[in-house]
Amino acid sequence: MSANREIEARLRETAGKLLAEKKVGLFIGYEKASLPFRTTPLFLSRAEEAERLAWNPFCTANLSVYLPRLFQAPADARAAKAAPPPPTIGVALKGCDARSVVALLQERQVRRENLVLVGIACQGLVDRRKAEKALGTHEALGAGEDGRGNIRAVVEDGTEVTLRREEVLAEACLECRSPAPSLYDFLLGTPVEAKGAARRRKDGLESQPLEARWARFQEAVSGCIRCNACRQVCPMCYCKTCLFDQTRPRWIGAGTDISDVSIYHLVRALHLAGRCIGCGACERACPMGIDVRLLERKLSAEVEKLYGYRPGEAAEAVPVLSCFAMNDPQDFLTEP
Amino acid sequence: MPSEEIASRTRSEAWEPRILAFLCNWCSYAGADLAGVSRIQYPPNVRIVRVPCSGRINPLFLLRALQNGADGVLVSGCHPGDCHYISGNLAARRKFALFKVLMRDAGIEPERVQFTWVSASEGGRFAAIVQKVVEAVQKLGPNRKLVKSHER
Repeated sequence: MSANREIEARLRETAGKLLAEKKVGLFIGYEKASLPFRTTPLFLSRAEEAERLAWNPFCTANLSVYLPRLFQAPADARAAKAAPPPPTIGVALKGCDARSVVALLQERQVRRENLVLVGIACQGLVDRRKAEKALGTHEALGAGEDGRGNIRAVVEDGTEVTLRREEVLAEACLECRSPAPSLYDFLLGTPVEAKGAARRRKDGLESQPLEARWARFQEAVSGCIRCNACRQVCPMCYCKTCLFDQTRPRWIGAGTDISDVSIYHLVRALHLAGRCIGCGACERACPMGIDVRLLERKLSAEVEKLYGYRPGEAAEAVPVLSCFAMNDPQDFLTEP
Repeated sequence: MPSEEIASRTRSEAWEPRILAFLCNWCSYAGADLAGVSRIQYPPNVRIVRVPCSGRINPLFLLRALQNGADGVLVSGCHPGDCHYISGNLAARRKFALFKVLMRDAGIEPERVQFTWVSASEGGRFAAIVQKVVEAVQKLGPNRKLVKSHER
């Protein structure tokens, strides 16, 4: 039995037990989807349905995105008083998802005492697009994993194709510095060594001249259709009202004017500076295949360099932009 | 001023940079006032927006200024330790530092958006800063990136 099958069995068992013993009222996990290389989020409230839970290299969604809204209290004080007590929620988390739960705890968006975290020692996930590209003209009808972690797909003429694991792993997984959850109540599977620490996506932005960087940025975002998918899947984008949705005032045009699109991506990068935990959900959600983390990756590196801070590492840590030091570097200032 | 007008003026032949300055109420705005009452000469290219504190600056303000045709933006607050709200400028400093990095990585001239501290007694410093910012933006020429075209 491969490691992932074993994790899947234990996940079902753990979730079923939590629900049966009423430790949680809701369990969030993954379910097999109707299309190959995909899974869909599953919200379980009955123990007997735990068999629907799945765990495989296609469980790409970051489930922590659902948590803040489940804990959201009504804004009105009287309504908040009358509201039912916050739910207890069990959730399946990979290393990156656990980091985002830590980041949400740092920003007080979720209640630790109401969460049961089922951590999964992740071995890396498959990027659906890479897999589809690797199949070329073939169309996959079904997909699974073989014993060595390579991906096997059944294509339309009934033959089986094996895709090498390294070829189809998601970019975020290739760069992952901590595939095992840092915060959990249960840990399923054995943590694997982080291989991504050394690997950094080489975009060579720094060495390029200004105009080339601008051209690169414009080229990247020009395909954007402003569907907001990158915002919706981001666990750190939990604002009740998003400035991009506001119409009074309308801060930024909602259309695909290149200026508006550029500002959307600039603002998104800024809002995630020092907060993004690098799960790559936005990249995988983008229907246009935009490198939506292009600027944010740079900002994260800069936050680490300037302030020695990495988000999602310690629940007690104060978010980097919510605090300051008297001796913060300020050599960027204009002096007469 | 309607943005169309800003846009058309930017294109006029004798081009002069148009700088939007966000000054905090307690130090920099008073510093600019002091430059005025002391009759210190500085280029007339700045339009001043008074904000309660440099901590009030939302990076979106700066991007919107560029989008609406400003050639440069200047943000100035109290010196660290002198903030009327104790730490508004210190909290802002991290945002500003990252904004500069973002401009650089996106390929927008970082000189278009400049940050500084000016106290209420530094009229001379304010004039010198404006001089420097205007010269820097003059060298860069009109802002074309991020500007939203209104002709359509």
